[in-house]
Amino acid sequence: MASILKVDTITGVTTAGSISVTGEGNSTTTNLQQGLAKHWVRFDQVNSNTFGDTFNSSSFTDAGTGNTKFTRTSNLANDDYAAFITSEVQATYTNVSNSMLAGSTQLSTSLMSAYHVENGSAQDTQTITMIAFGDLA
Amino acid sequence: MASELRVNTLKDAAGNNSIATSFVAGGSAKAWSNLDGTGTAAVIDSFNISGMTDNGTGDYTNSISSNLSNGNYVITIAYGNQTGSWAAQANGQLKYASTPAAGSYSLTTGNSVNGSLNDFDRIHSAIHGDLA
Repeated sequence: MASILKVDTITGVTTAGSISVTGEGNSTTTNLQQGLAKHWVRFDQVNSNTFGDTFNSSSFTDAGTGNTKFTRTSNLANDDYAAFITSEVQATYTNVSNSMLAGSTQLSTSLMSAYHVENGSAQDTQTITMIAFGDLA
Repeated sequence: MASELRVNTLKDAAGNNSIATSFVAGGSAKAWSNLDGTGTAAVIDSFNISGMTDNGTGDYTNSISSNLSNGNYVITIAYGNQTGSWAAQANGQLKYASTPAAGSYSLTTGNSVNGSLNDFDRIHSAIHGDLA
């Protein structure tokens, strides 16, 4: 029978921040909190520095050509999280672009920086996306 | 006391923001890791990763604790250095001629300008797919 649970907050019984979800193969479980993305961003560095959409971002800082820092609303527990950057290649260099994490200060608790490079040089891009997995504070 | 909730759909208390539990399970990352590939390579933080093997400069294999159902999962890789110089062109990729398995996957990090493999102090990977 189909069922619907209406609730604002789900909390673990044994450990408040740990809930198991049965996996697709029905034989193992995965941790709900650990598997959820804690921060994601779609951002336009070319047209006035604007968010296309975001989850858990409070603001951004233009850190120079091709480099944008994103500040979180809810901090991660530390800077040990795993984050990923992907971006759109621009017309100035249409073959290969590279997007990456940047710098120690950008990897602090509340900030993530996305850095876009084309042909070895920093370049603003119209679409840069970032997603991060880790522990919330 | 441990308890089990069986439900098809989650909604907030107002009845909005509906999501099927299949999307919760299917959309969640099943493993992720943050590796330091410099010096003695180490796992900084991870989820569902039992260990990492340093195969050489810029070459690593992650072992998965709870296996995926097969090797057809999605792998996302990114990396950089926190301090000092970091490659102007750095590409994360699956290791050449390696095939992701239900219990492990290999990745390499390097510089696309000169084609060399290099170690970095922040090597991130995540996988999405079906658990066994």
